[in-house]
Amino acid sequence: MSRGGPNMLNHWLLIGFLSVSTYLSRMIGVEIMAKRRMSSTVRLYFHYVPVGIISALIIKQIFIPTDGQLEISFPVLIGCLSTAITMKIIKMFLPSVVIGVMIGLFTRYFLIS
Amino acid sequence: MNEKKRTIKTGFAEALPLAIAIAAYGLSYGVLATQAKLSLLAAVVMSLLVFSGSVQLVTVAMLTAGASLTSILFTCVLLNLRNLLYGAALAEGLTPAKKWRWLFSFGVSDESFVLGSSRFQKYGPDPLYFAIVAGTFYLAWVFSSLIGALIGNQIDPQKWGLDLAFPITFAALLIPSLTEKPVIATALTATGIAIGLEYVMPGNELTIMITGVLSPLVGLYVKRRSQYA
Repeated sequence: MSRGGPNMLNHWLLIGFLSVSTYLSRMIGVEIMAKRRMSSTVRLYFHYVPVGIISALIIKQIFIPTDGQLEISFPVLIGCLSTAITMKIIKMFLPSVVIGVMIGLFTRYFLIS
Repeated sequence: MNEKKRTIKTGFAEALPLAIAIAAYGLSYGVLATQAKLSLLAAVVMSLLVFSGSVQLVTVAMLTAGASLTSILFTCVLLNLRNLLYGAALAEGLTPAKKWRWLFSFGVSDESFVLGSSRFQKYGPDPLYFAIVAGTFYLAWVFSSLIGALIGNQIDPQKWGLDLAFPITFAALLIPSLTEKPVIATALTATGIAIGLEYVMPGNELTIMITGVLSPLVGLYVKRRSQYA
């Protein structure tokens, strides 16, 4: 493996830029919003933001782009549904996650070749 | 004192499934980073300083594909836009941390945001909980990156179902909050928008951001309508 050289320098530059820009994006959100007195409407709006984003994050894991088309990941879909149902019934976090992962794995190995 | 201990315990218990999933990502990042010709030191330092799965995985993928510094940076700024929303939604819950907020904001990510915001909505501001969760994720991320960079591609996350931990943990967190109409409306709208955006532009970087900005408006509308009805 070669050491030094312009490529190495580029890597460190990149790491520097990425760490600064990523940290700034995090800090600006927390700092600027923390200092503002939010109106009840804005507060209510941000109350709903997590639900919207969590839903989007789950959808992005269920629908996986393959060759420019969307494919449903059944292990993820069925795992999520099982967890949702388990959580509704037993209302316990870790057991629901474990059951969901196990059913998802079961789906991967036995129902989908 | 008891209260503190309970918070720490809950923080660890709730962070655990996600920390395992993060470690799986960290392993793949470490492996890919070495394939992208990053040195072991550079790969680990990136995890220490950037601490973002999406940014780092996209970076090594783009480096491998021979992308320029500028295009990598631009893509990562785009990826980071959602942190503004996360920070804004978490800000109130972190207010009691005062000056420490500058440090806590380093821990803002998809996973810590999901856990933190759920906690704050149920129990009010709780910086200690957030610190435990973000700290656990940070350790998992840094160590798994190191191991990934050391061992190369010998673990298949899919075989062990580690890839399932992310969406499934999120589902477990989402369900208890779906109690009132505006929240359910937000979730349904978000699902619709996200599927629509992915259908039109599969795998694009803006789905989470656009969904996160638009879907709460529907929740707000439903809430206001029920108040003035």
